[in-house]
Order: sequence, then C-alpha cells, then structure tokens
Amino acid sequence: MKHPEVPSFSYRLFKWFCKETLFEELEGDLEESLLKNKEKYGLRKARRIYTSEVFRMLRPTILKKSKSGPVYSMALMANYSVVAYRNLSKNKLFSLINVLGLSMSLAIGLLAITFSYEIHSYDNFHENGDRIYRITSTRTNVNEDPYEYATTSLITAERLNDFGGFDKIVPLFKRFSGDVFVGQNLFQVKWLLAGEDFFEVFTFPLEYGDPNSALKEPFSVVVTESLAEKLFGKKNVIGEVLVKNEDSYQITGVVKDPPSNSHIKFEALASISTMKAKPEFETTFQWGNMWMSYVYVLLPENADMDQVMKNLIKLDSEENAKVDRFEITLGLESLDSISPNDAKYNQISPVIRKQTINRILVLAAIVLFSAGFNYSNLSLARSMKRSKEVGVRKVVGATRIQLFIQFIFDSILMSLVSLTFAYLLFLLIKPEFLNFAHYITNTTTLELTPLITLFFLLLAVLVGLFSGSVPSIVMTRFTPTKVLKGIHKMKVSKGFHIREVMAGIQFMLTMGFAILVILTYKQYSYAMNFDLGFETENILNVDLQNNNPDILRSAFANIPEVEGISSSSFIPSTGITNSAFAKLPESIDSVDANTLGIDAKYLENLGHELLAGENFTSNSDGQQVIVNEQFLKRFQIDLSEAVGTRIQFDEESRTIIGVVKDFHYGTVYKNIDPFVLVTEDEPDYLNLKIQSSDIVKTMAKLEEAWSSVDSKHPFKANFYEDQIAVAYTDLSTTMKTFGLLAIVAISISILGLLGMAVYTTESRLKELTIRKVLGATFTSMTLLLSRSFVKIFLIASLIAIPSTYYFFTQTVLTGMKYRIDIGPWELGSGALLIIFIALITISTQTFKAAKTNPATNLRNE
Amino acid sequence: MKGTHLGEFQEIVMLSILILDENAYGVTIQEEIDSRMKRKTSRGALQTALTRLEEKGFITSSYGEPTAERGGRRKRYYQVSNKGVVVLKEAKDLRQDMWKLIPKLA
Repeated sequence: MKHPEVPSFSYRLFKWFCKETLFEELEGDLEESLLKNKEKYGLRKARRIYTSEVFRMLRPTILKKSKSGPVYSMALMANYSVVAYRNLSKNKLFSLINVLGLSMSLAIGLLAITFSYEIHSYDNFHENGDRIYRITSTRTNVNEDPYEYATTSLITAERLNDFGGFDKIVPLFKRFSGDVFVGQNLFQVKWLLAGEDFFEVFTFPLEYGDPNSALKEPFSVVVTESLAEKLFGKKNVIGEVLVKNEDSYQITGVVKDPPSNSHIKFEALASISTMKAKPEFETTFQWGNMWMSYVYVLLPENADMDQVMKNLIKLDSEENAKVDRFEITLGLESLDSISPNDAKYNQISPVIRKQTINRILVLAAIVLFSAGFNYSNLSLARSMKRSKEVGVRKVVGATRIQLFIQFIFDSILMSLVSLTFAYLLFLLIKPEFLNFAHYITNTTTLELTPLITLFFLLLAVLVGLFSGSVPSIVMTRFTPTKVLKGIHKMKVSKGFHIREVMAGIQFMLTMGFAILVILTYKQYSYAMNFDLGFETENILNVDLQNNNPDILRSAFANIPEVEGISSSSFIPSTGITNSAFAKLPESIDSVDANTLGIDAKYLENLGHELLAGENFTSNSDGQQVIVNEQFLKRFQIDLSEAVGTRIQFDEESRTIIGVVKDFHYGTVYKNIDPFVLVTEDEPDYLNLKIQSSDIVKTMAKLEEAWSSVDSKHPFKANFYEDQIAVAYTDLSTTMKTFGLLAIVAISISILGLLGMAVYTTESRLKELTIRKVLGATFTSMTLLLSRSFVKIFLIASLIAIPSTYYFFTQTVLTGMKYRIDIGPWELGSGALLIIFIALITISTQTFKAAKTNPATNLRNE
Repeated sequence: MKGTHLGEFQEIVMLSILILDENAYGVTIQEEIDSRMKRKTSRGALQTALTRLEEKGFITSSYGEPTAERGGRRKRYYQVSNKGVVVLKEAKDLRQDMWKLIPKLA
C-alpha cells in the first residue's frame, strides 16, 4: 500500500524495475524520507526528491534480473557452434545446396557493393571538394526539347571573372588530344587544356614544378608521372619539349597520375592560354560553342548560393539576348554529384548513371533474397528433425530468445562459410565484370579496401539474419510436451504456407529473369539485324587518320579483293550523328537536319536507293545536296518537283539534285528525321567493299598498302557490322547482366527445388514404395510428387509474366523507337523453360525412389 | 582475494552503522552520511554499498517490526559483523602506521 502523497508514476516505475526482495525495504525508506522531507521542504520538493531518488535507483544491484537468463555466455556459444557444425556436416546435401546458393548470390552482392562504393567515392580526394562546383548548361534549340550538358562555353568562364563572388574559376578544354612528337617518336596522348588555377582548385599534387605558375604561360604543359616515364623514361622532365601539330610545348610540371576515381582523367594538361595564342580557336570563344569546354568554380567558404545563382541567371540572359535559334541556361552542380549522375551529355570521361547502380543493387538484392529463401525453406522443411532438440532444450530451461539466437547463429555461420567461397567467386568474376562494357572498364577498378571488406562481413551477417529468422521463429514455437511425446505428425501449418509463398516468390523471380534474358536477346538481335535501308555487309571502314584520301584510295584500288571504294565524313548508324540547320530560302521555318559528307561513289557502294534525280559526280562542288524522303515530307516538297529545288543548308544556298530512300542513320532508339547528304572533300573514312575468301590474307594486304602511305599510324579498320554491334553495347551489356543474374537465379532456385524434392521423397519414401508395390507407375508417382509444385509454378508464372513484360517495356525499351513484337511465345517460353527444368529435377528424385527394390525401403518396419 | 578490499564510501557506511548502533537502517544511515560528509548521497548508491558489504560479510541485516509511518513496511536494520570490525580496525591501523611514517607532520 502506498502512501497517498507518494508520486504514483515514480512509485509504479520503481515497483516495476526493483528487485522484489529489495522493494519493501527501499520503498519504505523512500516513503519515510518523503515524510521527513515534507516537514523540512514542503510536499512539492519532497515529491521531487522522491522521484529523483527513484531514478537513482537505476543500478544493477537494484534492477530486476531479466527472466531470460544469460543471453550470451561463452559456454552456450561454444555449444551452439558445435551443434551448428554437427548440423552442417550431418546434412551434407542441404549444406552444399545452401553454401552453393549463398556463395553465388553473395558473390553478386560483393560485386554490387564494391561497384557502388567505388562509384560513390568518386572525387572524394579533393581537399576543397565541398566548395568545388561545375557550371552546367541546358540548351534549347528552336522547336526542340532541352538537353542537359556537362559542358559550358569558355566565354562563361571569362564573363564570370567580371561578376566576382568566386574564389577561383578554372576552365577546361577537352578536344585537344592527338599525336605528340618527342624527337622523331610519335605518341598518342590524352590532353586537356586547363586554366592556371587548376592545381589550386583540384588536389592533384605536383611532383616537380610550381603549381601556381605551371599553367600560366601559353604552350606550357604539365604531364603525369606515367606519361613522363613513357615519353622520356624518367620522372623529372621539366624543361623537355613536346611537339604537337608543329607547336612546341615546354614541360613545366610533373603531376601524380590522377586517381582512378577522378572524373577528370588526363595524361597531359596544357595551359588554356595557349588557345588565345592560336587563331584557329577564335570561334571557340562564343556563347553557342559549348560542346568541348568545362568551367569549374571554387566558391568561398559560406558562399551565398542565391547570389551565385542570380549571377548565373544574369549572365545567361544577357548572352541569350545576343543570339537567336537557341537558348542556354546555366546551372550549378556540386563536385560530388558529378558521378554517379543521370543523363548529362558531353561528360569529360564516362560517368556511370545512378540508375545503373541502383539497378545493379536491386538485382543483387533479388538474388540474395532468393538464396535466403532457399535456406529458410530447407531449414523449415527439416525443422521436424530438430524438434526434439528444441524440446529438450526447452525442458532444460532454454528460453525462446536463447533458442532463436542459437538458430540465427546457425544461419550466420552458414552465411560466413559461404562468404569465403563467395569471395573466391568474386575474384573470379571481377575481371569479367570489368570487361562487361567500356564504361565500366573506364570508370572502375573494383579495388578492395578494409572498409569494403567490413561491408562484406556485414552483408554476410545480414544475409544470415534474414534467412535464419523465419525458421528460427517457427522452430522456437514448438511446445516441448508435444514434441517429446513423439507427435511427429504435428502440423506446422503456418510454416508450410510460408514455405509455399517463399518458393513461389523465388520461382517468380527466376522466371522473370529468364523472360528478361529472352526478350533482351530478341531486341538485341533485332537491332543488329535491323534493315537499315542500305548494305553493310562486307564493308570495311578505314579510319584515314588525317591522311590524304586520294593517295590511300589509289593504294587500296590496286588490291583485287577491293571491289569498291567510297569515302564519308563519319560512319552513320553507329550512334554518331551530325547536323546543321536547313530551311527553304524564303521561309523562316528551319529544321535541324542530320547530315553526312560523302563522295560520288558512296551511295552505290553502300547500296542506297535513289528515288529521283541523280547521284553526285566527281564535279560536284558542294552546292548540290541529296535529301531523304523525310526531308521532302517535312518541307512539303513533292517527289516529282524535288530535283532542282533550292534550299538553305548550313547557312549556304544549295540545290537538291537527288532524293534517296529513307535509311537508318541513327540507331533503333531514334526515328528517321530529315537528312541531307553533301559532298565532302576531306573525308575521315574510306569505305572499302571487300570480296574475299581469305579475309586474313586480304587484311594483311590492306595493312601493307596502308603502311606504304602512312608508316607512323597503325592501320585502323573495322567491318561495318562490328561497328554497329559496338553501338549497341548498352543492349548487349544489359543482356549480359540479366544473363549472368539469370544463370545465378535459376541455379539457386533449382538447387532449392532439388532440396525440397529430396526432402519430399525422403519423407514419403515408404508411401511411394507401397504405392509401387501396389502397381503405381513412375509417371503417376512423379505426378503425385510434383502436384504441389506445379500449383506454385502456375501461380508464379501468372505473376511473373505480366510484371516482367511491364518491367521490360518500362526500362529496356524506353527510348527505343523500333521494338520487337512481344507475343505469348516470347513471354511464355522463359516460364516454360523454368518449369521444364524444375520438373526434370523432381523426376530425378522420384526415379531414385521408384528404382530401388521395395524390400530395401520396407524391411525395417 | 575477493572480499577484503574496502572502498572509501563503504568504510564510511560501516562507520555510520557503528555510530547509529541499534538504529541503523536505510534512512538513518543516509542522514548520518549526509550530515557528516556534507554531501547528498542517494538511497540507490547507499544500497549498492550495503549490498556489496553484505556480500563480503562485513555487515549483517535483519527486518524489524512493521511501522505505520512507512505504510506498514518493515525497516531493515544493519549491524557490523565481527569480521567487519576487524577490517575497519585494520584499515585504521594501516593509516595510522602510514601517518607516523610521514617525517614533517609527525
């Protein structure tokens, strides 16, 4: 009974946490003190003292001991490990299935973690990283959607200097790579031009040279250590000279190689003041010329971002007022948001998309779930076998928490064992993954750091926790009285449903992957075999590398296997396009038309079909154009009247002399738009039509012809069809990714199914044998065993097919204008394949049961 | 050896029990310490000390009669055991011996 003046909340709290043996004495003391304090200080203060005394009672000597008993003790842990080890080794098949599945999926998980970690650690080494920003541009051409670019015009950097409010402004210029002579030797070097404050903004330490002045003077260059080694065979190369395009550049510094996680990658940095000294760069300093230059700014500490943005808006509106036909809006992007990033064009070096990373993480999680389900399912199926252990442990006094910990211990142990195998697998697939796609090769090294290793362990423990929790909860529910009495047929009805649901989800995912692979493969081969409207077969495209096309043309013409030679300014249908504005002379309605520069032989050589008019001749002087059907449609010119029509193209007046049938100059991602063919006197490529029975020999002849003209550059030639394949690496990468995951997912779920089938046949062995004695056939037995599975398969495919279809159209197909037709066969075949494999797995087990002599199985009863 | 160490606070608690003689229970011990040491101790801290001392066998305890002022709850009286007295004396002797050895103050 508590005194009415005792604060009741504190009283109840105290009663709740205090040991029963101490409560009478302590509460009595507190109450007595309360009454005494009330005399001394008054009731309110006395009650306050009471409450504070109660809180100070919170100490181990007074707190109730938790009822669960010790949760962790060394002895128990040792016992758990022994039991876990015995369980692993007693059920070799199940352990094998689990370890295999978990290692495969963990390996994928490790890959995903390493990849994502590396991409997210991009540019984290710059000391001023949090103050570095990049100016971005959003360009809107007339009648077009806006596009976002990582590039900005150089004029922006110059004008921002006048605005102030920036600590440093560093312009970079990209299109400067090329051949470099050191003495008589030629090297390919990746150059950037950079502003003089480059080394003050970015943390790229100089080995030799003065960071403040290295990039000040025109024609000075800073090289990386490895380039210095490559060019001169030593590191300190200050004062040496590089010759590029007949200009001499003095080396003023040697910088450490940029780390692999830098989005700015270079071998040599020349001073951007060089551009001012060279007249050909004059046009580069224009507001509209924003394709090759970058502007980085270092903001002061606690910069007023609003003011910075206002300055940018002021700048772009001033400049936009001076131009027509396009508009550029400037933006600001912090250094850490440069990589990973979504959809900005003209990155300095490839940038991984956020989407890609997220997709890989999600897919890895799916595979991990699948393997986790296997563990849960098989453990649940075998839970009956461990029920006696649970019973005995409970009788001896184990609490549910202790049992739960024991079973979780089991699964974590399994997961950690799998981690070692997963690690080996990871090392095995790492080089494969790095070669998956050029953008992965260029951005990632997948190097391991201690932190990542810690993540690995964490992942394994998490997977263990996840996969062990369901069976643990179910198993700790067993009541000892029932289990120990030997009621073996005790129904674990709840567990059974969980098992079905988990198997269902697993099969759903597996079917999803299989269908995805099939669909992506179809889309890929569709894109590859797409009717482009011209012939690409046996066309070998030779990169001229600045050589005179006529000399090479005559060199190649002597080779009998070369049936035709034409030239072009680039190779269409490989993802590259070029465009200029086109309009009718009297109209203001202009169109950004795609264009290609060719010679008189091109159309014939590549099998283009002329619908009207005639081809270029060797006398064409650049005033003539050939257009496609879409061009006529866009300007509403009739085919019969097309020839002779004058148009304004690329700011010059020209005459249409022919109309070519529409062809696909872009990729399947794009529709066919107006196209203008012009003549090109300085082409970059020769297109050779090859007719040869021994391609190796022919290539040798071609190479010989090449080196007779140009001995410095290696012969660079590719078959057109291979180049088209390169243009679809995105698709083929997607296909490979899904393919790899599909293999892993299918293997995991088939392993799981095998485990379930083994378990079912084992537990129904006697039943099956008796059926056999009574005359059951192999088929009827298989049907009997697979009935419950077939139900799961059907439900799984009902969900998997539509959702995969949705996923495919929403992700892989987005942005593709030309798509495959997806019919029931494409969708169903994946699901059928999985069901087929699954049924075979089940029947192998029935087969075993059916083939053994009935006496062997029945004798022991 | 476990059980021979005597903390400062524990020593004071034992001395207080000896001073209070027949009337040593929670509230009085707490008051005794508070008034002598001029500091506030909590009943909880005291309880920890009492528990430790009892574990070591330096004090014993027994319940008294229920009294009305405590809502009918019994007091628990503490006495210092012989072992406890011996330990206290040892502690005192040790200190005195050491005091004697200090040259300047002696």
